[in-house]
Amino acid sequence: MKSLLASLALTTALTVPGLALARPVTLTTTLNAYGGDGAYLALYVTDATGAYVGSLWMAGGKSKYYEHLSDWYRATGGDPAQINGITGASVGAGRTLEITLDLADALFDAGYTLHVDAAVEEMRDSPNEVAVPLTSAGAGTAVRGRRYVASFSYAM
Amino acid sequence: MRKPLSLLVASTALSAAIGLPVWSASPSLMEPAPSGPGLIVPGLRASGGTPAQAMPRSETVAGLLVLASGDDDEGDDDEEDEDDDDDDDDCHDDDDDCGGRRANPAPAGTVAPPANGLFGTGAPPQVKVN
Repeated sequence: MKSLLASLALTTALTVPGLALARPVTLTTTLNAYGGDGAYLALYVTDATGAYVGSLWMAGGKSKYYEHLSDWYRATGGDPAQINGITGASVGAGRTLEITLDLADALFDAGYTLHVDAAVEEMRDSPNEVAVPLTSAGAGTAVRGRRYVASFSYAM
Repeated sequence: MRKPLSLLVASTALSAAIGLPVWSASPSLMEPAPSGPGLIVPGLRASGGTPAQAMPRSETVAGLLVLASGDDDEGDDDEEDEDDDDDDDDCHDDDDDCGGRRANPAPAGTVAPPANGLFGTGAPPQVKVN
């Protein structure tokens, strides 16, 4: 009985920190009424040195258009394995994309930056449309994009 | 006997009247090349450094049609879709399964997110568009 309790305590002690290592984070992107087709958006993270770490979301399912998300494409070579399971539809002009992801705590206050690349058919590509440092203090603060994104924010 | 003979003469005359102008207007493959230099293709040079004499005039203008590319698909692409400036021959914008292109990624909810260290093991991604 004692060994069972000890095992239970041990597994609980090992599991609880693991649960606390990630939290749901909501990323909200609102597009301008730019008057074009749906926008492809790539949301990805770079580290303090600017090196690509990984992707968080891809709005737009056809890989043949990914080259227009030029910064993301340069970093990944357009590899679909980078965005398997985190790809959804493109986002129409004036619409709001709201994604809730279970993100690692280690992403925040550690020098990481979240980037958004945007592209719209027959309109100018917009790499690095948004770049925001991932910090606890920055949560809930809306930032404006360069061309297509009216506002972007993340909430924890 | 006179009637068939006159019919034969009439039909021969008719054939000659129609056929001779057509015959004389159409270029002949047996016609010898003009004595001029023919067409010079820029950039083509013979081994001696002189511009190569690529094709005699009779082959390029009056006679054989020489295609630079056997693909006559390009014009069709442009007519059907002026926005398609891709170099591919058989893939159109609406095709999802063009050979040689990367596959489309798996949509959210069908597979787990990539193991890139950014995601926890908790709830799967949720997406909403308003």
